Amino acid sequence: MNDIVIDTHNISRVYNPTTIPVYAIKNLHLHIRRGEFTALVGPSGSGKTTLLNLIGGLDKPDEGQIVINGTDITKLSPGKLIDFRLHNIGFVFQSFNLIPVLTARENAEFIMLLQGISKNERDERIKQLFRQVDLEEQIERRPSELSGGQQQRVAVARALASKPQFILADEPTANLDSKSASNLLDIMNKLNKEENITFLFSTHDQRVIDRARRVITLVDGQIASDTEPIMTSYAH
Amino acid sequence: MLVVMAWRNIWRHKARSLVIMMSITLGLLAGIAVLALYEGMLVSRIRTVIDEETGHIQLHHPNFSDENESKFIIGDTTEIFKILRNIPEIIQINKRTLVNGMMSTPTGTAGVQVFGIDTATEFSYSSLKQKIKEGNDLTSYKRNQVIIGKKLADKMKLKIGSKLVLMFNDTTNNLVSSAFRVSSIYQSTNAPVDERLIYVSGSELSELLGLPGQIHEIGLKLNDDKAVDLVASKLKSLLPNLKVETWKEISPETEFMVKTVDSYSYIILIIIMIALAFGILNTMLMAIMERTREIGMIAALGASRIRIFFLVLLETVFLTLGGAPLGLLIGWLLSVYFNKNGLNLSGMGEDVLSSFGFKVIIYPSFPAEKLLPVLIIVVVTALLSSIIPALKAINMKPIDALKN
Ligand SMILES: Nc1ncnc2c1ncn2[C@@H]1O[C@H](COP(=O)(O)OP(=O)(O)OP(=O)(O)O)[C@@H](O)[C@H]1O
Ligand SMILES: [Mg+2]
Repeated sequence: MNDIVIDTHNISRVYNPTTIPVYAIKNLHLHIRRGEFTALVGPSGSGKTTLLNLIGGLDKPDEGQIVINGTDITKLSPGKLIDFRLHNIGFVFQSFNLIPVLTARENAEFIMLLQGISKNERDERIKQLFRQVDLEEQIERRPSELSGGQQQRVAVARALASKPQFILADEPTANLDSKSASNLLDIMNKLNKEENITFLFSTHDQRVIDRARRVITLVDGQIASDTEPIMTSYAH
Repeated sequence: MLVVMAWRNIWRHKARSLVIMMSITLGLLAGIAVLALYEGMLVSRIRTVIDEETGHIQLHHPNFSDENESKFIIGDTTEIFKILRNIPEIIQINKRTLVNGMMSTPTGTAGVQVFGIDTATEFSYSSLKQKIKEGNDLTSYKRNQVIIGKKLADKMKLKIGSKLVLMFNDTTNNLVSSAFRVSSIYQSTNAPVDERLIYVSGSELSELLGLPGQIHEIGLKLNDDKAVDLVASKLKSLLPNLKVETWKEISPETEFMVKTVDSYSYIILIIIMIALAFGILNTMLMAIMERTREIGMIAALGASRIRIFFLVLLETVFLTLGGAPLGLLIGWLLSVYFNKNGLNLSGMGEDVLSSFGFKVIIYPSFPAEKLLPVLIIVVVTALLSSIIPALKAINMKPIDALKN
């Protein structure tokens, strides 16, 4: 049973290779299985963002392979990589990053339109997604008419709209108050348990770390510690 | 959805978008106004040339135009007239006897071009009769009457009834002179012509030249300006012994003006397009730079480069179409209005205009069928100038764009 969705093999990312090389990521091996709920922690500058960008196909490693669901994304052409992201990876960014001119519903629909999904399927899926993130009332609002927490839930709905292999989130709660942060975590947790959605998120927030089922600690671009994954939903 | 996004993106900066739309509107409005005015002046000039100066086509002895000697007469006209009357496009035929000479009065002398005319045909052929401002005309027949221009009359201090002497060479190169009396004074919109051209009776002039009844020039008017070249080539083969010239050949300066105005029109159009291109380039660059994050984010989510490129072009098209059609429409409506009612340019100085042979009232015209091509040129220009911003947009790296 090979259920590894993310497999990084000996990856390194070096900045300023010609002057004073900075290893943002150094010889890193990482496996993430389907259904995991993993927090990426570590001091500032330890390489969390760099690692998430590499796994998300937004950046290329200087060494090593990144295999997502059987595909080595380091070998894809730029155009193929964009397409790969569209169909396989869901993104939630720190500062919300919704498209401001589109409503909550349109933001989620945008991804599905890029994928070429039919109108009926889009409508159905949007209904379901916004029920899951508990925003059915606010579906026709623009981002500017939503609170930060609501915007981040729209971002989660949008990330899920493409039915990705997993969702990457770089400090998703950093700009939220503690109540909104806890609410977002509730929803992510529920999606993980009920829909078996894989989440990989970075965070500094101890309360968020406490709710993760696997915690990977990075120091200087290397894994300093890795707790055993607690596979609740994966087990059955 | 890209269309929706593009449309809404335009309105994120209402003021900026409205300003650029309005500049497009005003630019095109001004452009069309100038082009329509040029066209109106041109049409008016061509009408003046054809109706008052040359007619559509003129026939001469092959050597006449070069040497302008009175011995180069057309000769027996009965055969020629038969041929001319058989061509349906020809609606008027006018005969003239011509000579260059000197005019002398007690105050001085002046070189003149003498037109010997038959008033019966001349008055319906050219607008001479309408231009006569003082005195009677040659129809109340007395011998040796002359019609002179106002400008010449003023210069030589001549009045109705004044006496003057005309001198010219006859066919045998003898100097002939004869006394004439001013019967009328005309004034046209073409000052240089007024100073040079005088009219006498054709039969009297031909007798003085020793060529009774002979003519040097046959002028033709056609039912359609566009038939000129066709009829001219027909006449060339039918009348091989005569020189056939159209108004364009007789008045090359007018033909030159047509070409000059045409190229000016292109230059004006190009200047407007360059201004438009820079306006669009600037606006779209600004719009792209301030949305770096957003465009990077869309690319991160999986929007292809073609889609992002297309988004930028769509926004450009919306901006352009927000301004261009209105400018074209207003410009065209104005040209239609003034085409109907005439535009009085006397404020620009009547004398200046008439010394260049222009009329004071201009009927600007801008053909409706040119509106769509202009609109297409505008849109294409705008699209071309948005290529740089669009390339900038697709080359944004999501990773840089998303950095906090
Ligand atoms: N574009 C860049 N050029 C040079 N060095 C960079 C660049 N981006 C990141 N780095 C360096 O790489 C290392 C890892 O940075 P990264 O942003 O991944 O850390 P992080 O764990 O996300 O930090 P934080 O918790 O503050 O977000 C840091 O030492 C950083 O200075
Ligand atoms: Mg970071």
